[in-house]
Amino acid sequence: MKCESCNKKHATVHLTEIVGTVKKERHLCEECAQSINTHLTKIPSPTEILTSLINQVAPEINEMSKIVCPVCGLSYLEFRSHGRLGCAMDYTIFRKGLIPLLEKMHSSTQHIGKVPSRAGKELIKKNELMQLRNELNKAVEKEDYERAAELRDKIYEFSGENDED
Amino acid sequence: MKISDLTDNTGEWLRGTGPQSDIVISSRIRLARNVARFPFLSMANVKQKKELEETIRDKIKDADISQDLCYLNLADITPVDRLFLVERHLISRDHAGGEGERGVAFGKSETVSLMVNEEDHLRIQVIRSGFELKEAWKTIDEIDNKLEKRLNYAYSSRFGYLTACPTNVGTGMRASVMLHLPALGMTHHIEKVFNAVMKLGLVVRGLYGEGTQVSGDLYQISNQFTLGKSETEIIEIIESVIPRITSYERMARKSLISESREQLEDRVWRSYGMLKVARLISSEEIMHLLSQVRMGVNLGIINDIEMKTLNELFILTLPGHLQKLEGRELNSTQRNIIRASYVRKRLEK
Repeated sequence: MKCESCNKKHATVHLTEIVGTVKKERHLCEECAQSINTHLTKIPSPTEILTSLINQVAPEINEMSKIVCPVCGLSYLEFRSHGRLGCAMDYTIFRKGLIPLLEKMHSSTQHIGKVPSRAGKELIKKNELMQLRNELNKAVEKEDYERAAELRDKIYEFSGENDED
Repeated sequence: MKISDLTDNTGEWLRGTGPQSDIVISSRIRLARNVARFPFLSMANVKQKKELEETIRDKIKDADISQDLCYLNLADITPVDRLFLVERHLISRDHAGGEGERGVAFGKSETVSLMVNEEDHLRIQVIRSGFELKEAWKTIDEIDNKLEKRLNYAYSSRFGYLTACPTNVGTGMRASVMLHLPALGMTHHIEKVFNAVMKLGLVVRGLYGEGTQVSGDLYQISNQFTLGKSETEIIEIIESVIPRITSYERMARKSLISESREQLEDRVWRSYGMLKVARLISSEEIMHLLSQVRMGVNLGIINDIEMKTLNELFILTLPGHLQKLEGRELNSTQRNIIRASYVRKRLEK
């Protein structure tokens, strides 16, 4: 079907207008439809379609969508479309959006591995304690109580106090 | 050291020694690190990339990692040379195809390689022959400590080592083991292995890592999680799984021998024959033939060829290596001819 306005392009917009009791159908190409009757034929832009889709799939993205890192200039939406962060600060700026992502990827959001010596002795100690507690939990799960007792003593020794927390 | 110095040999990790080296070809660990106060590479401008490249290159030199460490700026070498380094596992495909100031440092034994300005500012890699993840970790941990004294890494107590892609954050560590599993493929049990492996949070990939096809029955098994587990824990998980897979492969080989010895021997000898007489061999075909022969050697069906030679042929017959060997660019038919003649010569010796 050709557009009834320009008679050249293919009609892709089909309008039904009801004025009083009169029903009127119009078949237009996209261009003519927009120029003739913008208020009626407002076609959602790709961005709008995308936003509404994103809202349904991952609501946090919409909330985060306006956030841009002041250090590197990357927006949260750019991060989500390319999957790469722009600088170390993004981990702080996009934290709210990142936490559920990391949870999905790693089933965890807390690092317990190596600590660079520059990060300070306190942090190294904290991480080692975390690792010991992890091992203790595993030993208990496996019902290896001998190992569990060993680990418990190590934790006491390490933290210099009874580990109640 | 020049790239052409590498063509006559291969890295130490291909020598076919080390624990379980009949099935485990190599053990590899890489660490992803970024320098604090610099944007990650996707947001870094030309000047920042250059500054990063120079700083990290100098610190690597200063860290005295190995006496014979050589450094190459990838922007200065040809695409064939870069392909050659990819095939050698010294750089990644992304690093080869990247843009701007970037480089790689590696030693003569090719055990250690340090990629500068890959996806992260620095990627350290250690590869060893056979099943030796713990030793690889020991080596890479020491290198990392030396560099950490000289470079201020981007790090947070919550998220660990901060990386450009959140799939690497935390330890920044990917530990992988390359396995040769022809019998599990032939007996159609390989899927079962993969399902079991995936349940443990591990992933299976092809010879050149992420997104590459499996060929020559070579598989890489590596950790998916990098956050929430310590480096040692991750290594222990992989270490606990590998012996189960290798014994499963051995069982599959045994059952092939007891149930269809003649067919198996025929397959192995035919493959060996093809390698010795063929005049045109594609890269896909050679992987398959080498895989069959490798299994034949492991099972004692073939006795006149060394494991090291076979392991090396997997790498030396790749497109980049053949072009380097000939010293010119070759189209695929030319490569198939040269590949066949190269293999014939190597097997005559």
